[in-house]
Amino acid sequence: MSGIIDAVLSPIADLMPGTRRVRVAVTGLARAGKTALLASTAANLLALGAGLPALPLLSQHLGRRRMTVAIAPAGAEDLPRFDHAAHIAALAADPPRWPERTQAVSVLALDLAVERQTMLGEMLGARRIRLELLDYPGEWLLDLPLLAEDFTLWSEATLTRLERGPAAPVRDFLAFARGLPANAAADETLAASGHALYRAALARLRDEARLSLLQPGRFLMPPPGPEPPWMTFFPLPGSSPLARLLAARFDAYRDAVRRDLVEGRFAAVDRVLVLADVLAALAAGPAAFADMQAALSAASSALRYDTSFLRTIPLLDRLLPPRIGRAVFAATKADHVAARQRGNLATLMAALVRLPADAPQPASLAVAAVRATEDFVWTLEGRNVSAVRGRVLGEGRMTRSYPGEVPDHPPDAAFWAHPFLEVPVFEPMRPLPGGAIPQLGLDALLVALLGDVL
Amino acid sequence: MSEEERPVRVAPRIEAENFAAPRLEPENLPVPVTPPVIRSGLGPLLGGAAVLVGGLVALDLVTTIAGLFDRSPWLGWIGTAVGLAGAALIVRGLGRELRGLASLATVDRLRTALAGNDAAAAKRAAREWAGRVEAGEGLDAALAAAPDATTVAALLRAGPAAELAARADALGRTAATQAFLAAAASPSAALDAGIVAWRGVRLIREVATLYGVRPGAAAMLTLVRRTALSAASVAGADLVAHTIAQGLLSHPLAQHVGGGLPAATLAARRMILLARAAAAACSPVGQAGPTGAP
Repeated sequence: MSGIIDAVLSPIADLMPGTRRVRVAVTGLARAGKTALLASTAANLLALGAGLPALPLLSQHLGRRRMTVAIAPAGAEDLPRFDHAAHIAALAADPPRWPERTQAVSVLALDLAVERQTMLGEMLGARRIRLELLDYPGEWLLDLPLLAEDFTLWSEATLTRLERGPAAPVRDFLAFARGLPANAAADETLAASGHALYRAALARLRDEARLSLLQPGRFLMPPPGPEPPWMTFFPLPGSSPLARLLAARFDAYRDAVRRDLVEGRFAAVDRVLVLADVLAALAAGPAAFADMQAALSAASSALRYDTSFLRTIPLLDRLLPPRIGRAVFAATKADHVAARQRGNLATLMAALVRLPADAPQPASLAVAAVRATEDFVWTLEGRNVSAVRGRVLGEGRMTRSYPGEVPDHPPDAAFWAHPFLEVPVFEPMRPLPGGAIPQLGLDALLVALLGDVL
Repeated sequence: MSEEERPVRVAPRIEAENFAAPRLEPENLPVPVTPPVIRSGLGPLLGGAAVLVGGLVALDLVTTIAGLFDRSPWLGWIGTAVGLAGAALIVRGLGRELRGLASLATVDRLRTALAGNDAAAAKRAAREWAGRVEAGEGLDAALAAAPDATTVAALLRAGPAAELAARADALGRTAATQAFLAAAASPSAALDAGIVAWRGVRLIREVATLYGVRPGAAAMLTLVRRTALSAASVAGADLVAHTIAQGLLSHPLAQHVGGGLPAATLAARRMILLARAAAAACSPVGQAGPTGAP
């Protein structure tokens, strides 16, 4: 039904005057490659606008229509701009560097002008789109599920999860939290000590155990500036005065998340791109993989989706408050495995996605936004295997990599019986003349994400 | 599947090679195709003809002057003066042609410098270009403060290049009106084509002069070819041309004279497109100003 309506009404939507704003939340867990993806998107769209075949599938989608691309002027907006020039320069430098980790919210804004496809549309001039891609620390994504949580229930669930996970990183914190008196006073020193222990445990779980579902996100990646007092809390079940103090601070934290992230940023988002480094999770083992799956599920479910009938009506769509109508899930760093395994990686990503019933049908892809390796056939134990090779960052030699077979379904016990190696950090390939950055699947991702408006 | 039927698994492995390797280059990605250089026989043919004609004319001139000296010294000196004046004019013409070609080569050199990462080279190129064009004054302080080559190019795009692009557009609009009226009044399609071609070549020359490129005949041929190439990459220019042409042709006089003549409208659109393409071909910073802005 919606397909028929779309077919009838799309030409009308195509004739709508003015600039259409498309805001995409580029979400994903920490170290999934969001910043590199945004830098590559900017470089390749600008190259495409200059006439270079940087994104073949997107060019194919546009057909004979030309598209111009320019960095949108910042105007008087308060949102910091994504520093695309610095990130692209880092990738192009010799020796190259990967972009620095995101430490605050920023936006990459591009102005696109696409020729219209209908004769009537041609008379109106190019269709103008302001594409805004929101970048923010991956850790903060996991603050969204907290909005629906109660402090006591969250505390119990968190402590239970910590007790079931790796013991060493959380031993001190668990001993402290479980050892507190049942009616502990609302003492600031206790709150600060527990907070420091919890924060240290989270950092070790991220760095040593490669876990992802670590809340609150701002404990791992605090926003710039001095920390407000309500940041000083930690999970503590019970109804002691200390627990009540921590609960009040938890509520203040949730209010800040709602004010800064949800109402300020996500309120205007109408499509979402979720990135995950599935290969790193496979290498980190079953606990980290299950944790990544849970984190993805929690974060994706916390977003507000809408694919209702009303959304298919172009004119009405502009009047309704923004809701997420298109979702794309991408397994990043797909060039760390050979071409033969990238299909499996995309299928595995699709199998990991769990969205609420009202969410749009997601697209799942395997992507390398900045290509760093080349495929080659490696003879191992007398057998030819598809592998990759590239220069490890900071080294002048090639490194060959066959990390193992990527499953096309969530791994079972048989898979975990064999090792899947952690791939080293390869240095990015040299950019093409004209500034385009070598990529795999980024063009397909952009078509999946923006195909309806281009 | 039993244990015996399971495929043999190759143990994963990651190992470094023992020799240094260069940074990986993108191999399988599409890159802009540079057309092969076609070496036709026409160049040597024309060159040979020019050598023969020029050489024989020179020999004939020398012989004639020598004959004049034999008849009378004063007649010989007059013949020498005429010969030298003619040769000087030819040399001057050749000089202009070479200067025209050199100015196109300069555009390429400046473009390379402004597109690179060397801020000092970009600043030198920017100052050189700003000194050549009328709109390039008053940028020195900003150029000196620019931290990198990207900023230098942005300064040029925002300043002189935008100003020149606006002037090129104005030239295009004038040519569009003239081409429209001439094509509307012409009795045949062949004459239409002739008018558009003549006005188009003149427009390219006007735009080139605006950008500090003063093309001779040879440079003009190169410039026409470059303009044709840049027309394909001046994205959105066709749409802009259409919009501007519609605006121009809504004038009551134009409507009265041309009505809805498609050939005349097309001629006007081509002029506007041509002005933008010529501007892009002559500018070291490419297309300037907000794309699509009439």
